[in-house]
Amino acid sequence: MNPAPGLFQVPWQDYLPALVDGLLKSLGYTAAGFVGAAAVGLAVALLRISSRRLLRIPAAIYTELFKNVPLLAIIFITYFGLASVGLRLDAFQAGTLSLVIFYGAYLSEIFRAALLGVHAGQQEAGQALGLGPVVTFTGIIFPQALRLALPGTGTMLVDLLKSTSLLVVISAAELMSQAQLIASETFRALEVYVVISAIYFVVCYPLSQLVLRLERRVQAGAPLSLRRYRRLAHARALLAAAETKPYSEVKP
Amino acid sequence: MTIGKIESEGSAVTSTLPVVEIRSLVKSFSGRTVLDNVDFTVKPGNIVSIIGRSGGGKTTLMRCINLLEKPDSGFITLQGEPVFSGDKTVCKDLAKLRQRVGMVFQRFYLFPHLTAVENVMLAQMKGLKIPEKKALETALELLAEVGLTHRALAFPEQMSGGEQQRVAIARALALGPSLLLFDEPTSALDPESTRDVLAVMRRLARSGMTMVIVTHEVPFAREISDKIVFIDGGHIIEQGHPSEVIDNPREDRTKAFLRSYKTDG
Repeated sequence: MNPAPGLFQVPWQDYLPALVDGLLKSLGYTAAGFVGAAAVGLAVALLRISSRRLLRIPAAIYTELFKNVPLLAIIFITYFGLASVGLRLDAFQAGTLSLVIFYGAYLSEIFRAALLGVHAGQQEAGQALGLGPVVTFTGIIFPQALRLALPGTGTMLVDLLKSTSLLVVISAAELMSQAQLIASETFRALEVYVVISAIYFVVCYPLSQLVLRLERRVQAGAPLSLRRYRRLAHARALLAAAETKPYSEVKP
Repeated sequence: MTIGKIESEGSAVTSTLPVVEIRSLVKSFSGRTVLDNVDFTVKPGNIVSIIGRSGGGKTTLMRCINLLEKPDSGFITLQGEPVFSGDKTVCKDLAKLRQRVGMVFQRFYLFPHLTAVENVMLAQMKGLKIPEKKALETALELLAEVGLTHRALAFPEQMSGGEQQRVAIARALALGPSLLLFDEPTSALDPESTRDVLAVMRRLARSGMTMVIVTHEVPFAREISDKIVFIDGGHIIEQGHPSEVIDNPREDRTKAFLRSYKTDG
Protein backbone atom coordinates (compact mmCIF):
# COMPACT_ATOMS: atom_id res chain seq x y z
CA MET A 1 0.00 0.00 0.00
CA ASN A 2 1.20 3.52 -0.74
CA PRO A 3 2.21 4.94 2.65
CA ALA A 4 1.23 8.49 1.65
CA PRO A 5 -1.57 8.18 -0.81
CA GLY A 6 -2.06 11.22 -2.96
CA LEU A 7 1.06 13.09 -1.81
CA PHE A 8 3.07 12.64 -5.01
CA GLN A 9 0.85 12.56 -8.04
CA VAL A 10 2.93 14.54 -10.54
CA PRO A 11 4.58 12.20 -13.08
CA TRP A 12 8.08 13.49 -12.24
CA GLN A 13 9.91 11.07 -14.53
CA ASP A 14 8.17 12.73 -17.48
CA TYR A 15 9.38 16.13 -16.34
CA LEU A 16 12.88 15.02 -15.55
CA PRO A 17 14.44 16.32 -18.80
CA ALA A 18 12.76 19.70 -18.30
CA LEU A 19 13.97 19.87 -14.71
CA VAL A 20 17.54 18.97 -15.64
CA ASP A 21 17.48 21.53 -18.41
CA GLY A 22 16.06 24.17 -16.04
CA LEU A 23 18.66 23.41 -13.38
CA LEU A 24 21.50 23.66 -15.91
CA LYS A 25 20.11 27.00 -17.10
CA SER A 26 19.94 28.25 -13.51
CA LEU A 27 23.56 27.23 -13.00
CA GLY A 28 24.48 28.91 -16.29
CA TYR A 29 22.87 32.18 -15.14
CA THR A 30 24.66 31.81 -11.81
CA ALA A 31 28.06 31.29 -13.40
CA ALA A 32 27.74 34.07 -15.97
CA GLY A 33 26.12 36.45 -13.47
CA PHE A 34 28.70 35.79 -10.77
CA VAL A 35 31.76 36.12 -13.01
CA GLY A 36 30.38 39.36 -14.46
CA ALA A 37 29.36 40.70 -11.05
CA ALA A 38 32.79 39.90 -9.59
CA ALA A 39 34.51 41.75 -12.45
CA VAL A 40 32.19 44.77 -12.12
CA GLY A 41 32.45 44.63 -8.33
CA LEU A 42 36.26 44.67 -8.41
CA ALA A 43 36.39 47.48 -10.96
CA VAL A 44 33.90 49.60 -9.00
CA ALA A 45 35.69 48.86 -5.71
CA LEU A 46 39.01 50.02 -7.22
CA LEU A 47 37.37 53.20 -8.49
CA ARG A 48 35.85 53.84 -5.07
CA ILE A 49 39.19 53.70 -3.28
CA SER A 50 40.83 55.89 -5.90
CA SER A 51 42.26 59.20 -4.77
CA ARG A 52 40.49 61.00 -7.63
CA ARG A 53 37.02 62.32 -6.92
CA LEU A 54 36.17 62.10 -10.60
CA LEU A 55 36.49 58.31 -10.41
CA ARG A 56 35.17 57.88 -6.89
CA ILE A 57 31.87 59.68 -7.25
CA PRO A 58 30.40 57.84 -10.26
CA ALA A 59 31.38 54.53 -8.66
CA ALA A 60 29.67 55.50 -5.40
CA ILE A 61 26.53 56.52 -7.30
CA TYR A 62 26.50 53.17 -9.09
CA THR A 63 26.77 51.21 -5.86
CA GLU A 64 24.17 53.19 -3.98
CA LEU A 65 21.74 53.21 -6.90
CA PHE A 66 21.67 49.49 -7.57
CA LYS A 67 21.91 48.45 -3.94
CA ASN A 68 18.69 50.32 -3.29
CA VAL A 69 16.59 49.18 -6.24
CA PRO A 70 14.83 45.77 -6.27
CA LEU A 71 16.40 43.15 -8.51
CA LEU A 72 12.97 42.46 -9.97
CA ALA A 73 12.70 46.06 -11.16
CA ILE A 74 16.13 45.79 -12.80
CA ILE A 75 15.03 42.61 -14.59
CA PHE A 76 11.88 44.33 -15.90
CA ILE A 77 13.87 47.33 -17.06
CA THR A 78 16.56 45.37 -18.90
CA TYR A 79 14.09 42.98 -20.57
CA PHE A 80 10.89 44.98 -21.22
CA GLY A 81 12.11 48.54 -20.65
CA LEU A 82 15.12 48.51 -22.96
CA ALA A 83 13.10 46.68 -25.61
CA SER A 84 10.66 49.56 -25.71
CA VAL A 85 13.46 51.94 -26.66
CA GLY A 86 14.78 49.61 -29.33
CA LEU A 87 17.43 47.68 -27.41
CA ARG A 88 16.07 44.16 -27.57
CA LEU A 89 17.89 41.68 -25.33
CA ASP A 90 16.96 38.02 -25.16
CA ALA A 91 16.10 36.47 -21.81
CA PHE A 92 19.62 35.19 -21.20
CA GLN A 93 21.24 38.53 -21.99
CA ALA A 94 18.74 40.56 -19.98
CA GLY A 95 18.77 38.09 -17.09
CA THR A 96 22.55 37.93 -16.88
CA LEU A 97 22.91 41.69 -17.24
CA SER A 98 20.44 42.24 -14.39
CA LEU A 99 22.31 39.86 -12.10
CA VAL A 100 25.65 41.45 -13.01
CA ILE A 101 24.40 44.99 -12.35
CA PHE A 102 22.70 44.12 -9.07
CA TYR A 103 25.30 41.81 -7.55
CA GLY A 104 28.12 43.95 -8.92
CA ALA A 105 26.90 46.69 -6.59
CA TYR A 106 26.92 44.40 -3.55
CA LEU A 107 30.24 42.77 -4.39
CA SER A 108 31.84 46.19 -4.88
CA GLU A 109 30.98 46.96 -1.24
CA ILE A 110 32.47 43.67 -0.05
CA PHE A 111 35.60 44.10 -2.18
CA ARG A 112 36.07 47.71 -1.15
CA ALA A 113 35.93 46.82 2.54
CA ALA A 114 38.37 43.96 1.91
CA LEU A 115 40.85 46.17 0.04
CA LEU A 116 40.70 48.78 2.79
CA GLY A 117 41.10 46.02 5.36
CA VAL A 118 44.62 45.23 4.14
CA HIS A 119 47.02 47.15 6.39
CA ALA A 120 48.64 50.20 4.77
CA GLY A 121 52.01 48.83 5.91
CA GLN A 122 51.67 46.04 3.35
CA GLN A 123 51.73 48.56 0.53
CA GLU A 124 54.79 50.20 2.07
CA ALA A 125 56.57 46.90 2.51
CA GLY A 126 55.99 46.18 -1.18
CA GLN A 127 57.26 49.61 -2.18
CA ALA A 128 60.31 49.32 0.03
CA LEU A 129 61.14 46.01 -1.66
CA GLY A 130 61.24 47.80 -4.99
CA LEU A 131 57.99 46.39 -6.30
CA GLY A 132 55.96 48.54 -8.67
CA PRO A 133 52.33 49.45 -8.01
CA VAL A 134 50.98 46.67 -10.23
CA VAL A 135 53.01 43.87 -8.64
CA THR A 136 52.34 45.30 -5.18
CA PHE A 137 48.64 45.05 -5.94
CA THR A 138 48.57 41.66 -7.64
CA GLY A 139 51.13 39.95 -5.40
CA ILE A 140 50.48 41.52 -2.00
CA ILE A 141 47.25 43.51 -1.66
CA PHE A 142 44.90 41.48 -3.83
CA PRO A 143 45.63 38.03 -2.34
CA GLN A 144 45.06 39.39 1.16
CA ALA A 145 41.88 41.22 0.12
CA LEU A 146 40.64 38.04 -1.53
CA ARG A 147 40.94 36.21 1.77
CA LEU A 148 39.07 38.97 3.58
CA ALA A 149 36.36 39.07 0.92
CA LEU A 150 35.78 35.33 0.75
CA PRO A 151 33.03 34.95 3.40
CA GLY A 152 30.86 37.78 2.06
CA THR A 153 31.47 36.79 -1.53
CA GLY A 154 30.46 33.19 -0.84
CA THR A 155 27.21 34.33 0.73
CA MET A 156 26.53 36.48 -2.34
CA LEU A 157 27.18 33.54 -4.68
CA VAL A 158 24.54 31.41 -2.97
CA ASP A 159 22.17 34.37 -2.85
CA LEU A 160 22.69 34.96 -6.56
CA LEU A 161 21.89 31.33 -7.34
CA LYS A 162 18.60 31.63 -5.46
CA SER A 163 17.83 34.96 -7.13
CA THR A 164 17.98 33.38 -10.58
CA SER A 165 14.48 32.14 -9.67
CA LEU A 166 13.24 35.73 -10.11
CA LEU A 167 14.00 35.34 -13.81
CA VAL A 168 10.73 33.40 -13.96
CA VAL A 169 9.11 36.76 -14.75
CA ILE A 170 10.87 36.87 -18.11
CA SER A 171 10.37 33.14 -18.77
CA ALA A 172 14.10 32.51 -18.72
CA ALA A 173 13.57 28.72 -18.92
CA GLU A 174 15.52 28.21 -15.69
CA LEU A 175 14.39 25.99 -12.85
CA MET A 176 11.60 28.21 -11.51
CA SER A 177 10.19 28.77 -15.00
CA GLN A 178 10.04 25.01 -15.46
CA ALA A 179 8.31 24.72 -12.10
CA GLN A 180 5.71 27.24 -13.15
CA LEU A 181 5.04 25.27 -16.35
CA ILE A 182 4.71 21.99 -14.50
CA ALA A 183 2.41 23.56 -11.92
CA SER A 184 0.15 25.00 -14.58
CA GLU A 185 -0.03 21.68 -16.37
CA THR A 186 -0.70 19.53 -13.30
CA PHE A 187 -2.54 21.97 -10.98
CA ARG A 188 -0.35 20.59 -8.13
CA ALA A 189 1.19 23.83 -6.89
CA LEU A 190 2.08 22.59 -3.41
CA GLU A 191 3.80 19.43 -4.59
CA VAL A 192 5.61 21.16 -7.46
CA TYR A 193 6.97 24.07 -5.44
CA VAL A 194 7.99 21.86 -2.52
CA VAL A 195 9.95 19.64 -4.90
CA ILE A 196 11.51 22.66 -6.65
CA SER A 197 12.47 24.18 -3.30
CA ALA A 198 14.08 20.88 -2.37
CA ILE A 199 16.12 20.99 -5.57
CA TYR A 200 17.31 24.55 -4.78
CA PHE A 201 18.23 23.40 -1.28
CA VAL A 202 20.11 20.35 -2.54
CA VAL A 203 22.20 22.58 -4.79
CA CYS A 204 22.65 25.58 -2.47
CA TYR A 205 23.43 23.79 0.78
CA PRO A 206 26.49 21.91 -0.52
CA LEU A 207 27.62 25.09 -2.27
CA SER A 208 27.47 27.01 1.03
CA GLN A 209 29.36 24.22 2.77
CA LEU A 210 31.94 24.16 -0.01
CA VAL A 211 32.50 27.88 0.33
CA LEU A 212 32.86 27.51 4.10
CA ARG A 213 35.44 24.77 3.66
CA LEU A 214 37.33 26.86 1.13
CA GLU A 215 37.27 29.74 3.60
CA ARG A 216 38.73 27.61 6.37
CA ARG A 217 41.42 26.15 4.15
CA VAL A 218 42.41 29.58 2.88
CA GLN A 219 42.49 30.98 6.43
CA ALA A 220 44.89 28.17 7.25
CA GLY A 221 47.13 29.40 4.43
CA ALA A 222 46.47 26.64 1.91
CA PRO A 223 47.68 27.48 -1.60
CA LEU A 224 45.00 28.57 -4.07
CA SER A 225 47.11 28.07 -7.17
CA LEU A 226 48.92 25.03 -8.51
CA ARG A 227 52.07 27.11 -8.88
CA ARG A 228 52.13 27.99 -5.20
CA TYR A 229 51.32 24.39 -4.27
CA ARG A 230 54.39 23.22 -6.22
CA ARG A 231 56.56 25.99 -4.74
CA LEU A 232 55.68 24.91 -1.20
CA ALA A 233 56.25 21.25 -2.05
CA HIS A 234 59.65 22.15 -3.46
CA ALA A 235 60.53 24.11 -0.33
CA ARG A 236 59.42 21.19 1.84
CA ALA A 237 61.57 18.79 -0.17
CA LEU A 238 64.64 21.01 0.11
CA LEU A 239 64.11 21.39 3.85
CA ALA A 240 63.74 17.62 4.28
CA ALA A 241 66.95 17.05 2.31
CA ALA A 242 68.71 19.59 4.52
CA GLU A 243 67.67 17.65 7.64
CA THR A 244 70.22 14.96 6.88
CA LYS A 245 72.91 17.39 5.74
CA PRO A 246 71.90 20.10 8.14
CA TYR A 247 71.72 23.78 7.51
CA SER A 248 72.51 24.01 11.20
CA GLU A 249 76.16 23.94 10.16
CA VAL A 250 75.75 27.57 9.21
CA LYS A 251 73.36 28.46 12.03
CA PRO A 252 74.70 30.90 14.61
CA MET B 1 78.03 32.60 4.03
CA THR B 2 75.27 34.56 2.49
CA ILE B 3 75.58 37.72 4.50
CA GLY B 4 79.25 37.94 3.63
CA LYS B 5 78.55 37.01 0.03
CA ILE B 6 75.92 39.67 -0.40
CA GLU B 7 78.20 42.23 1.12
CA SER B 8 81.10 41.48 -1.21
CA GLU B 9 78.79 41.46 -4.25
CA GLY B 10 77.47 44.90 -3.34
CA SER B 11 79.40 47.98 -4.29
CA ALA B 12 79.26 49.34 -0.76
CA VAL B 13 82.89 48.81 0.17
CA THR B 14 84.59 48.96 -3.21
CA SER B 15 83.24 52.45 -3.87
CA THR B 16 84.43 55.46 -1.92
CA LEU B 17 81.36 57.54 -2.77
CA PRO B 18 79.02 58.09 0.17
CA VAL B 19 76.18 55.56 0.10
CA VAL B 20 73.79 58.29 1.23
CA GLU B 21 74.34 61.99 0.88
CA ILE B 22 71.57 64.31 1.97
CA ARG B 23 71.80 68.09 1.90
CA SER B 24 69.41 70.85 3.03
CA LEU B 25 66.52 68.43 3.48
CA VAL B 26 63.20 70.01 4.44
CA LYS B 27 60.04 68.06 5.15
CA SER B 28 56.78 69.17 6.70
CA PHE B 29 53.47 67.49 7.38
CA SER B 30 50.46 69.78 6.97
CA GLY B 31 52.43 72.90 7.85
CA ARG B 32 54.45 71.39 10.72
CA THR B 33 58.15 71.21 9.86
CA VAL B 34 59.57 67.87 10.94
CA LEU B 35 62.94 68.15 9.18
CA ASP B 36 64.49 71.57 8.93
CA ASN B 37 67.50 71.88 6.65
CA VAL B 38 69.11 68.57 7.53
CA ASP B 39 72.47 67.35 6.17
CA PHE B 40 73.21 63.65 6.54
CA THR B 41 75.90 61.39 5.11
CA VAL B 42 76.54 57.65 5.31
CA LYS B 43 79.90 56.31 4.17
CA PRO B 44 80.32 52.82 2.67
CA GLY B 45 80.43 50.08 5.30
CA ASN B 46 79.43 52.49 8.04
CA ILE B 47 76.74 51.99 10.61
CA VAL B 48 74.90 55.15 11.49
CA SER B 49 72.38 55.22 14.31
CA ILE B 50 69.81 57.97 14.58
CA ILE B 51 68.62 58.61 18.11
CA GLY B 52 66.29 61.15 19.64
CA ARG B 53 62.86 61.73 21.11
CA SER B 54 59.74 60.37 19.39
CA GLY B 55 58.41 62.88 16.89
CA GLY B 56 61.83 64.47 16.50
CA GLY B 57 62.12 63.51 12.84
CA LYS B 58 64.29 60.35 13.04
CA THR B 59 61.94 58.06 11.17
CA THR B 60 61.00 60.73 8.63
CA LEU B 61 64.67 61.28 7.80
CA MET B 62 65.12 57.56 7.25
CA ARG B 63 61.98 57.26 5.12
CA CYS B 64 63.23 60.06 2.89
CA ILE B 65 66.29 57.97 1.98
CA ASN B 66 64.27 55.50 -0.09
CA LEU B 67 61.64 58.14 -0.86
CA LEU B 68 58.85 56.42 1.01
CA GLU B 69 58.42 60.02 2.16
CA LYS B 70 58.74 62.74 -0.44
CA PRO B 71 60.70 65.72 0.91
CA ASP B 72 59.53 69.31 0.39
CA SER B 73 62.99 70.29 -0.80
CA GLY B 74 66.62 69.31 -0.63
CA PHE B 75 69.12 67.01 -2.31
CA ILE B 76 69.42 63.26 -1.93
CA THR B 77 72.18 61.26 -3.63
CA LEU B 78 72.54 57.50 -3.32
CA GLN B 79 75.92 56.03 -4.31
CA GLY B 80 76.64 59.09 -6.41
CA GLU B 81 73.31 58.97 -8.22
CA PRO B 82 71.02 61.96 -7.62
CA VAL B 83 67.55 60.74 -6.66
CA PHE B 84 65.97 63.93 -5.35
CA SER B 85 66.95 67.43 -6.30
CA GLY B 86 65.36 70.77 -5.46
CA ASP B 87 61.70 69.92 -5.03
CA LYS B 88 61.29 66.87 -7.21
CA THR B 89 62.26 63.24 -7.59
CA VAL B 90 64.91 62.92 -10.30
CA CYS B 91 65.35 59.15 -10.05
CA LYS B 92 63.78 57.62 -13.16
CA ASP B 93 63.22 54.20 -11.68
CA LEU B 94 62.18 54.31 -8.03
CA ALA B 95 61.65 50.54 -7.94
CA LYS B 96 65.27 49.90 -9.02
CA LEU B 97 66.50 52.35 -6.42
CA ARG B 98 64.56 50.66 -3.66
CA GLN B 99 65.93 47.26 -4.63
CA ARG B 100 69.33 48.57 -3.54
CA VAL B 101 67.97 49.88 -0.25
CA GLY B 102 66.53 47.24 2.07
CA MET B 103 64.18 48.36 4.80
CA VAL B 104 63.11 46.76 8.06
CA PHE B 105 60.01 48.16 9.76
CA GLN B 106 59.10 48.50 13.41
CA ARG B 107 55.96 46.42 12.89
CA PHE B 108 57.68 43.95 10.51
CA TYR B 109 54.97 44.11 7.81
CA LEU B 110 55.56 40.57 6.70
CA PHE B 111 53.07 39.36 4.11
CA PRO B 112 50.59 37.46 6.30
CA HIS B 113 49.22 35.27 3.52
CA LEU B 114 52.63 33.77 2.76
CA THR B 115 55.00 31.49 4.65
CA ALA B 116 58.35 32.79 5.88
CA VAL B 117 60.24 31.34 2.92
CA GLU B 118 57.73 32.80 0.44
CA ASN B 119 58.08 36.19 2.12
CA VAL B 120 61.79 36.07 1.35
CA MET B 121 61.19 34.82 -2.22
CA LEU B 122 58.51 37.26 -3.37
CA ALA B 123 60.54 40.33 -4.29
CA GLN B 124 63.34 38.22 -5.76
CA MET B 125 60.91 36.64 -8.20
CA LYS B 126 58.55 39.54 -8.92
CA GLY B 127 61.03 42.38 -8.68
CA LEU B 128 64.39 41.00 -9.79
CA LYS B 129 62.82 38.23 -11.95
CA ILE B 130 65.10 35.64 -10.39
CA PRO B 131 63.99 32.09 -11.32
CA GLU B 132 61.99 30.31 -8.64
CA LYS B 133 64.59 27.62 -7.94
CA LYS B 134 67.35 30.15 -7.31
CA ALA B 135 65.04 32.39 -5.27
CA LEU B 136 64.07 29.46 -3.07
CA GLU B 137 67.69 28.49 -2.46
CA THR B 138 68.65 32.05 -1.57
CA ALA B 139 65.61 32.33 0.71
CA LEU B 140 66.49 29.14 2.59
CA GLU B 141 70.12 30.24 2.95
CA LEU B 142 69.02 33.60 4.35
CA LEU B 143 66.57 31.99 6.76
CA ALA B 144 69.42 29.77 7.95
CA GLU B 145 71.52 32.90 8.44
CA VAL B 146 68.92 34.38 10.77
CA GLY B 147 68.49 31.02 12.51
CA LEU B 148 65.00 30.28 11.25
CA THR B 149 65.34 27.26 8.96
CA HIS B 150 62.90 25.41 11.20
CA ARG B 151 60.30 28.16 10.70
CA ALA B 152 60.60 28.36 6.90
CA LEU B 153 57.08 27.07 6.31
CA ALA B 154 55.44 28.94 9.19
CA PHE B 155 53.06 31.82 8.58
CA PRO B 156 53.75 35.19 10.23
CA GLU B 157 50.90 34.86 12.72
CA GLN B 158 52.42 31.58 13.93
CA MET B 159 55.74 33.25 14.72
CA SER B 160 56.90 35.37 17.65
CA GLY B 161 57.67 39.02 17.04
CA GLY B 162 61.39 38.34 17.11
CA GLU B 163 61.07 35.56 14.56
CA GLN B 164 58.95 37.77 12.32
CA GLN B 165 61.50 40.55 12.50
CA ARG B 166 64.32 38.18 11.60
CA VAL B 167 62.31 36.95 8.60
CA ALA B 168 61.82 40.62 7.67
CA ILE B 169 65.60 41.11 7.79
CA ALA B 170 66.09 38.05 5.55
CA ARG B 171 63.45 39.47 3.20
CA ALA B 172 65.30 42.78 2.98
CA LEU B 173 68.63 41.00 2.41
CA ALA B 174 67.21 38.84 -0.39
CA LEU B 175 67.62 41.59 -2.95
CA GLY B 176 71.32 41.99 -2.15
CA PRO B 177 70.98 45.63 -1.08
CA SER B 178 73.97 47.92 -0.64
CA LEU B 179 72.23 49.69 2.24
CA LEU B 180 69.89 48.52 4.97
CA LEU B 181 67.49 50.82 6.80
CA PHE B 182 66.15 49.78 10.20
CA ASP B 183 63.19 51.72 11.56
CA GLU B 184 63.08 51.01 15.32
CA PRO B 185 63.48 47.30 14.63
CA THR B 186 63.14 46.21 18.26
CA SER B 187 60.59 48.70 19.60
CA ALA B 188 57.74 46.20 19.26
CA LEU B 189 59.64 43.29 20.78
CA ASP B 190 60.06 41.69 24.19
CA PRO B 191 63.60 41.57 25.67
CA GLU B 192 64.36 38.04 24.49
CA SER B 193 63.25 38.73 20.92
CA THR B 194 65.15 42.00 21.01
CA ARG B 195 68.32 40.12 21.93
CA ASP B 196 67.88 37.71 18.96
CA VAL B 197 67.25 40.53 16.49
CA LEU B 198 70.18 42.58 17.77
CA ALA B 199 72.41 39.48 17.44
CA VAL B 200 71.49 39.23 13.75
CA MET B 201 72.13 42.95 13.26
CA ARG B 202 75.49 42.65 15.00
CA ARG B 203 76.54 39.89 12.60
CA LEU B 204 75.37 41.94 9.63
CA ALA B 205 77.43 44.84 10.92
CA ARG B 206 80.51 42.65 11.24
CA SER B 207 80.02 41.46 7.64
CA GLY B 208 80.50 45.05 6.49
CA MET B 209 76.90 45.91 5.56
CA THR B 210 76.15 49.63 5.41
CA MET B 211 73.31 50.32 7.83
CA VAL B 212 71.18 53.20 9.05
CA ILE B 213 69.36 52.43 12.27
CA VAL B 214 66.67 54.46 13.99
CA THR B 215 66.64 53.12 17.52
CA HIS B 216 65.91 53.68 21.18
CA GLU B 217 68.49 51.05 22.16
CA VAL B 218 71.20 53.52 23.13
CA PRO B 219 73.67 50.94 24.50
CA PHE B 220 73.32 48.88 21.31
CA ALA B 221 73.75 51.96 19.13
CA ARG B 222 76.83 52.92 21.13
CA GLU B 223 78.36 49.47 20.72
CA ILE B 224 77.63 48.92 17.03
CA SER B 225 77.75 52.35 15.39
CA ASP B 226 80.47 54.23 13.56
CA LYS B 227 78.41 57.38 13.89
CA ILE B 228 75.58 58.54 16.11
CA VAL B 229 73.20 61.24 14.92
CA PHE B 230 71.06 62.93 17.56
CA ILE B 231 67.97 64.60 16.13
CA ASP B 232 65.59 66.85 18.00
CA GLY B 233 62.87 69.17 16.76
CA GLY B 234 63.74 68.54 13.13
CA HIS B 235 67.40 69.49 13.53
CA ILE B 236 70.53 67.42 13.82
CA ILE B 237 71.75 68.64 17.20
CA GLU B 238 74.92 66.65 17.36
CA GLN B 239 76.64 63.88 15.44
CA GLY B 240 79.88 61.96 15.64
CA HIS B 241 81.47 58.83 17.02
CA PRO B 242 79.60 57.20 19.93
CA SER B 243 82.53 58.06 22.21
CA GLU B 244 81.72 61.70 21.56
CA VAL B 245 77.95 61.93 21.22
CA ILE B 246 76.96 59.35 23.83
CA ASP B 247 79.92 59.35 26.20
CA ASN B 248 80.82 63.06 26.03
CA PRO B 249 77.90 65.00 24.55
CA ARG B 250 78.61 68.68 23.94
CA GLU B 251 75.06 69.95 23.48
CA ASP B 252 72.66 70.47 26.37
CA ARG B 253 69.77 68.86 24.49
CA THR B 254 71.82 65.71 23.87
CA LYS B 255 72.77 65.58 27.54
CA ALA B 256 69.13 66.01 28.57
CA PHE B 257 67.99 63.28 26.19
CA LEU B 258 70.62 60.82 27.37
CA ARG B 259 69.81 61.62 31.01
CA SER B 260 66.09 61.04 30.49
CA TYR B 261 66.89 57.85 28.63
CA LYS B 262 68.91 56.58 31.57
CA THR B 263 66.26 57.41 34.16
CA ASP B 264 63.44 56.01 32.01
CA GLY B 265 65.36 52.76 31.61
